[in-house]
Amino acid sequence: MSEILERTRTYVRDNFLYMRPDFLLGDDDPLLAKGVIDSMGVLELLSFLETEFGVSVPDEEVTVANLGSLSAIARFVAAKVLRTEAA
Amino acid sequence: MCGIAGIARSEPSGVEADSLACMAAALRHRGPDGYGFFAGARVGLAHVRLSIIDLQRGAQPLGNEDGRLLIVYNGEVYNYRELRPTLERLGHLFGSDSDTEVLVHAYEEWGPAMLDRLNGQFAFAIYDRRNESLFLARDRFGVRPLFYTKRGGTLYFASEVKALFATGEVDAAPDYTGLDEVFTLWAARPPRTVFQGIAALEPGCWALWQNGALHVQRYYELHYPEARDEPPDALDRLDDLMRTGVDLRLRADVPVGGYLSGGLDSSITCVLGAAASPYALRTFSVTFDDPRFDESAYQRAVAGQLHSQHAVQPIGGEAVARVFPDVIWHTETPLVRTAPAPMYLLSRLTREGGIKVVLTGEGADELFLGYDLFKETVVREFCLRQPASRVRPRLFDRLYPYLALGRRGEFWQRFFLEAGALDDPLFSHLPRIRLTSRIKDFYASAMRQALAAWDAEAALRDSLPPAFPRWSRLNRAAYLEMVTLLGPYLLSSQGDRMALAHGVEGRFPFLDHRLFEFAAALPARSKLRGLREKDVLRRWAASILPPVVRDRSKQPYRAPDTPAFFAPGRPDYIGELLRPASLRDTGVFDPEPVGGLVRRCQAGLAAGARESQALVAVLSTQLWHQQFFRARRRITPLPLEGADVLLSDEASGVTDGTMRMEMTR
Repeated sequence: MSEILERTRTYVRDNFLYMRPDFLLGDDDPLLAKGVIDSMGVLELLSFLETEFGVSVPDEEVTVANLGSLSAIARFVAAKVLRTEAA
Repeated sequence: MCGIAGIARSEPSGVEADSLACMAAALRHRGPDGYGFFAGARVGLAHVRLSIIDLQRGAQPLGNEDGRLLIVYNGEVYNYRELRPTLERLGHLFGSDSDTEVLVHAYEEWGPAMLDRLNGQFAFAIYDRRNESLFLARDRFGVRPLFYTKRGGTLYFASEVKALFATGEVDAAPDYTGLDEVFTLWAARPPRTVFQGIAALEPGCWALWQNGALHVQRYYELHYPEARDEPPDALDRLDDLMRTGVDLRLRADVPVGGYLSGGLDSSITCVLGAAASPYALRTFSVTFDDPRFDESAYQRAVAGQLHSQHAVQPIGGEAVARVFPDVIWHTETPLVRTAPAPMYLLSRLTREGGIKVVLTGEGADELFLGYDLFKETVVREFCLRQPASRVRPRLFDRLYPYLALGRRGEFWQRFFLEAGALDDPLFSHLPRIRLTSRIKDFYASAMRQALAAWDAEAALRDSLPPAFPRWSRLNRAAYLEMVTLLGPYLLSSQGDRMALAHGVEGRFPFLDHRLFEFAAALPARSKLRGLREKDVLRRWAASILPPVVRDRSKQPYRAPDTPAFFAPGRPDYIGELLRPASLRDTGVFDPEPVGGLVRRCQAGLAAGARESQALVAVLSTQLWHQQFFRARRRITPLPLEGADVLLSDEASGVTDGTMRMEMTR
């Protein structure tokens, strides 16, 4: 899970925080409330998660609980990867 | 429409005609049909003319009977025919049929109180030679521009800022707080501009210059005396106001055409214009290659009903990128959207088609709550009253059905719900303000230092009128839209400047002040019924519009942004101006994050509003800086011998009771 977290953190920093190099983003910080990701950004993030980790995310799973912070994303993706591997 | 300019010195040291000729040259696009000057000991006036009313005798500067008063005037006072008999009864003598002359006599008779009697769109200056005063005035909503600056003991004024610089006596420096307002609210808020020390006369204000001092006074306030119930005769009154508003705006000695977007508002103005005009109405539209922006099917439906001669300006991204430098030269301010560019091309098409006056639908969305922002305000308020509700936020999905998948659902809803508190006076506008303000992530450290403790949001809160807290949340939103967006951006950057860039005058039936006052007094539900916008207007228009237009929902006017500047074969200026050295020279944006933005734009990744607005902001700021500071366009003064009117203190003397004009052509 820590690898998923690190790769997602790097992706978010390079794509959504490149204009704010001093921005401190904690693993549990809310991505939406802190203005890191907007609605178009969610689409980009989904595309990244699907290609990078080989998971599929249907619309109903696009929620703050699943994608609201770096740690939430890591938990969500790790669980999906596990389920995919188990299947 | 025309351009005006002038210089008023506190000492009678003389105003050089050459300075006035330079100012006029900078405004020539606003008035290609003629020009004239008054060069006096203390005051000088310049005018470039777009002749529309009394083509033979309307040249300016124009005086009253004894030459005491001289006027230069940009705009239209539509009720001049109604005002003239009153003035004639009071003993005033007229030498022309122009509305200009009515203004001179009206000022002579009533002083500044004349403004309450005018129905129109105007900016003018009247020089009173007896008491050495200069009176400046601007219409109620800011359709026509007027800028001024004081340097030493001298006042300079003009329709556009570039004419102030053309004197060689006014230096240019950026106003960083004005720029910050652009990157917060889309435009600097009058009187502030993006140039240090240069002010815009606020809409609904006049100013008097005398003895080296300037006194500014408001004559028109926006009021929202909302009624509990819709008056039973509301539709009849609306019918009368719409028809007389259009009839008045057809007054011209040239044919009046119509801009036709395909939306409700311009369809109404075109249908009424076609019915009342003595000419066959000609209509003009922009169409977009990108189907997300295109409304041509609706345009064809209305043009078909009117049997109008319809002309179309197709817009692709390449065209936007190509004309963007000229667009910024005319807006004189950085932008956060490219939407003015298609309007620039449309006015060129219109002028080339031989039409120099058009009716447009601007103003209806502000008066009758047409924008999504108003619905958004209602839905946000509804949701925040029951923050735990999981059902209420689903209304956001209904609000923006045209948006792509992924902009719906919880993430999208949370953006609006977390945008601001209900008790914030700017509640309605906070989502837009917060989104626009993300441009500031790209600021250079020098820009941050220049701004210091300045806060554009706080400045706006501090400027709100005393009655503001007593208005409903929707009327507060409507007021904010009028003063932050309609005047400073839509009527200016997207309106006056783009039309007049090619000598085309826009006329705005929805901005008849009588109609504004009617709409402001209606209950909110007459305008926004549930989530149906402009309800009363739709009910009234039901019998005059094609059903396909009448029943459609509002589509925001948008133009191609980011991709326009990164397509193959793009103009060279884009790469030049986005170079780190060029960005550092301007000092507003930091080259490092801008480099990241450019890479994402090139890769086609910058699809969201946040980065799109940032790219347009950066590029337009660079163009603005280049054209107004680094390499200002060379202005060749208009030749004095070509002037229609050339007056001096002697040639317009008051001694024998008649004004003599030196007609040089």
